[in-house]
Parts: sequence; structure tokens; C-alpha cells
Amino acid sequence: MENLLTIKNLKTGFPSKKNTTIAVDGLDLHIKAGESIALVGESGCGKSMTSFSIMRLLPPPGEISDGEILFEGRELLKLSENEMCKVRGKEISMIFQEPMTSLNPVLTIGEQIIEVIQYHQGLNRQLAREKSMEMLKLVGFSRVEEILKEYPHRLSGGMRQRVVIAIAMSCNPKLIIADEPTTALDVTIQAQILELMRNIRRKFNTSILLITHDLGVVSELADRVVVMYAGQVVEEANVRDIFRKPLHPYTEGLIHSVPSIRGEINRLYSIPGNVSSSNKIHSGCKFAPRCPKAFSRCFVEKPRLAEVEELHTARCFLYE
Amino acid sequence: MINYIIRRTLLAIPLLFGITVVSFIIMQLAPGDPTALMIDPMIKKEDLEAYKEMYGLNDPIYVQYFTWLGNMLQGNFGESLIRQGTSVSELIFARLPNTLLLMVVSTIIAFLISIPLGILSATKQNKLSDYVITIISFLGVATPNFWFGLVLIMVFSVHLGWFPTGGVETLGSSFSILDRIHHLILPAFVLATADMAGLTRYTRSNMIEVLRQDYIRTARAKGFKQNKVIYKHGLKNALIPVITIFGLMLPSFIGGSVVVEKIFTWPGIGLLFFDAAFQRDYPVLMAITVIGSALVVLGNLIADILYAVFDPRIEY
Repeated sequence: MENLLTIKNLKTGFPSKKNTTIAVDGLDLHIKAGESIALVGESGCGKSMTSFSIMRLLPPPGEISDGEILFEGRELLKLSENEMCKVRGKEISMIFQEPMTSLNPVLTIGEQIIEVIQYHQGLNRQLAREKSMEMLKLVGFSRVEEILKEYPHRLSGGMRQRVVIAIAMSCNPKLIIADEPTTALDVTIQAQILELMRNIRRKFNTSILLITHDLGVVSELADRVVVMYAGQVVEEANVRDIFRKPLHPYTEGLIHSVPSIRGEINRLYSIPGNVSSSNKIHSGCKFAPRCPKAFSRCFVEKPRLAEVEELHTARCFLYE
Repeated sequence: MINYIIRRTLLAIPLLFGITVVSFIIMQLAPGDPTALMIDPMIKKEDLEAYKEMYGLNDPIYVQYFTWLGNMLQGNFGESLIRQGTSVSELIFARLPNTLLLMVVSTIIAFLISIPLGILSATKQNKLSDYVITIISFLGVATPNFWFGLVLIMVFSVHLGWFPTGGVETLGSSFSILDRIHHLILPAFVLATADMAGLTRYTRSNMIEVLRQDYIRTARAKGFKQNKVIYKHGLKNALIPVITIFGLMLPSFIGGSVVVEKIFTWPGIGLLFFDAAFQRDYPVLMAITVIGSALVVLGNLIADILYAVFDPRIEY
């Protein structure tokens, strides 16, 4: 099957007068049509910057310094701003982390859905209105006529996230980038939102790029998992393989840090240290300073991303 | 909404009452009294006393205040102590339209110029146009009205002869709108500049703040172009706090108009107030203070109503 989205050697950074802070450091990623990929990692590992790079919406002064992003064979980085506007919201849309702030407080819910349908599909207002009611029903609202007239502050977090999903789905995009879609919600609402996203995916065969640090969400929604560390992919595998047999010590650490309701009550595991500042020049593996299994070679040479088992790659000297 | 407006209007009554009390006391504290100016200095002491007695100037302050208040509530602001035989209402209502015209036009000028400049400055943050606008704004804040007015008169009226030096109309000619506008341009512009600078800076900082919000990112992610993002999703949010400035600007327009009207000999209530203050013409001063306060209270009321109109989050 052909890839819907292919990212090759993406490099994104934040230049300042002194030096450039690297956010994404040579990332390769591909998503097939209908596939759901989870991009996992700690805060600051470059997950969100990857998604903003795909949308070309990096917060200034961020810029993409190298690489290719192919979407259905088109090179997104070479499109003009006007052409890119036709991709955003129509072919690739986004669901954001903060439903409380990602809707405009002075426009009605209706206006915020209708405007995007009118803009991308050229429907008249009446048809766009009907379509937006349809979308609201799809995400689980019953009194859609009333919801259209409401302002965001009158809705709860979960309801707002449904609205955000309705907006994202309203132009039948081929790819949805969901950046921590459930992080700001409480647990019961999280489950409902995940259920909703699963249904949507099944119904429309939409590809999903899920960005999260929550491994629970990963197992609910993803087919394939890509683990990122300090702007690089360190491991990639099918969701079952990742949980059953993590290869990279970092992935192992992440899985260990999830509290379990089974087993003895121990102190919750945490990976020592923080994601290292990308400015420092590393001669070896970026994870080596925090890695419990590091040996001398890890501090001198950079490991490559290599296929260890079929469809299971890792960037680690343990498997070379 | 109607309920809210009525409630706010009723709340304004005690406020206006308080303002009259304070103004009355402050005016009495100022040294001197109208007799010093209006009467032949050679007058006999008994006559002077009789005169003061006649006008109630010897009564205790509270008696004077309540006499005045009682009259005012019946719509009678009294008679000017200086221009004898003319009622204060007559004096004021002959001039109020001129002042209102000046205020309304300069408010419109201030908003029409500052808001686009503020937006431009915000969207071109830290670029050349932003710096130019910022420097001009700071110059505007630092320049006193009276000085700027005099400079404009020097340049545009005296040297270039483009505009008249003052007044509302060409003497001896019949009323024409063009003539009125011709006289209005300089004073309205000077009065507007006082607030333009602040308003521009304020619009700029609000807009910058708003453009960082998540919902702006959402709008961009919908594929909207820069202008639609700024004007549809940003502007309304950025202008809500500017409404506050509108409420705060009105008093400064009334205060500023005193100076500007003096410089441009614009026969409005500002000029009347200026002269009355020097002549200790209490009834005129009090009447203008009350009308001025009423305008300020009205301005704030309008600002509150605009808030409720623009911001759906405000419950009233």
C-alpha cells in the first residue's frame, strides 16, 4: 500500500542569535492510508514540533532546515502559502491538546464549524449549516440546533473537545493529527473521546497521527508506535510488539513508568534525568547519559536506526 | 439587556450626586470670589456686602449647595454671576453642540487611525514599520496638547495658510458644512493625538497577546489566510479591552477640550469653563462640571454596554 504521508530526514529548529535549538533531528516517518500511528515520547522530545512541521505552523522563530514531507506524492515544504492553506483543515486537520482554549471565545460553535466548511467546500451557508449539524451529531451531540448557537465558554471540556473533533472532521480529511487529544480531560471523558476517535476512524478510514506521552492512549488507538527521543526516532514497531518486547532501553523505561494495578506496590519507576538539551554536542547516543544499559561505545559513536526484527526497528548498539 | 441598562443608569445617580458635592466643596476652597472681578474696585464696603448677601454668597456652604441642587433638579442652573442677565443653561446650550462635535469627531479620528496602526504594528512585530509606529506613538504621548496645537497653527495656519487659526466658522459668512469641517480639522486632530498614541500601543499589545492564543493556531490549522485569521479571529478578541480605553478616554476628551478650545478659540464649553474658572463664575462652573460628569458616566455606560455586546462571556 502506498504511503499517505512520508517524512524524510526532517530537521526543525529554533534559531536564535547565538545558536539553534534543535527540536527535530533527522526524523523519518511514514503513514499509510487508514493507518493510525502513535508518536510517543517525553515532553520536549520534539513530538509536537513534528506535527507543527507537517502543518507548516511552527511557532516563530521555528523553521524547518532540512528534509522532505511528502503527502500523497506532493512535497508540502515546497508548496506556496496559498496552496498550503488548501491542505490545512481540508486534507490534514488537527485536534489540539487544550479544548478550553483552542476554540475562539467570541464566536459561536456554529460559526466556527460553518466557516471551515464554507471555506473549503464552497457550500452556501444553509448547506454548510446542515453539514455542521451532521458533524455535531456524529461526535455525539443530541441538541445540535442549540449547540450551534452556544459560545464555547458554556460547554464543558469534553464537549469542547468533541466540537474540536467535529471541526477537524468536517472536511473529511485524509489525515488527522491529534496532539495530546485527551491530556487535558478527566479519565472518563478521555475514554469517551478515544471511543469517538476509534469510531470515526472505522467509519471514514481516516489516518491518524496521534501524539502523546500516554501509553494507555497508545494501546487504545494506534496500530504502530514510533518512539521519539531528543528529536530522533529511537524505536518503531507494531503496537503489540512494543508492549510485549520493547527493544530500546528508553522504550522499556517508558513502559516501566506506567503505574500498574497488578503486582507489588513499589516506588513508581522513572527514567533518571531529563531530555538532554539538544544544544550540547553529543559524540555518542543521545540517550546514553540516562541509559541504565549504556556501555563505553554508546558514549563515542552514534547508533543508527536498524531493523532488529521484521517491522521492528531500534536505534541502539545492544542490537548491532 | 434593557434591564441591565436601566440598572446601570440608576446606579449612576448616586455617583453624579457625589460628584456635585465634591466639586462644590473644591470650588468653595479656591481663593477669591466673583465680586473681586465684577465690581468696580472703588465700591463701598456696605454695597459689596449687600451684593454678596443678594446672591447668597454669605450663606453657609451647605445652604448654598442645597439651594443650587434644588434649582438644578428643576433644570435651572441659575444665572451667570459675571454675564448678568444670561442664564447658565442658555450659555451652555449655545456652546455644547460645538464641544460635542469636536469630541465626537476627534474620537472617531483617534479610533480610525490608531486601531489599524496598532494592528499593523502587532502583525509586523519588531520590523521596521512597527518601530516607526512605536517611535511616533511615544512622541505623541510625550507631546503636550497645547504645544502641538500651537505648532500646527504656526505651520498650517500662519505659514502655509491652509487652515484658519481658530473659531468655528468664517466670520460674516453663512453656515456651510465645508467651512465647518475646514475649521474643525486642526483642533479635532490635536485633541485626537492625545489619545491616539496610547490607543495604538494598547491595540498593538492586545493584538500580539491574542495572536499567541490557541484559538488563533486553530484558525490557522483550518487553513485560513493571514488576513482572515487576524480580522475574523483576532480583531474582535483584541478590541474587547480597547473598549475600556474608550470609557477612559471620554474624561480626557472633556479635559483636553478645555485646552484645545482655548488655543483654537473654539467656542465650546471648554472655553466657557476656562473663562468661568478665572472669573469664579460658580454657577457656570458647577453646571459644566455636572454636564461633564454626566458625559463621563454616560461614556462608561456605553463602554459597559459595548462589552456586553462584544463579549459573549459577560453575563448581565
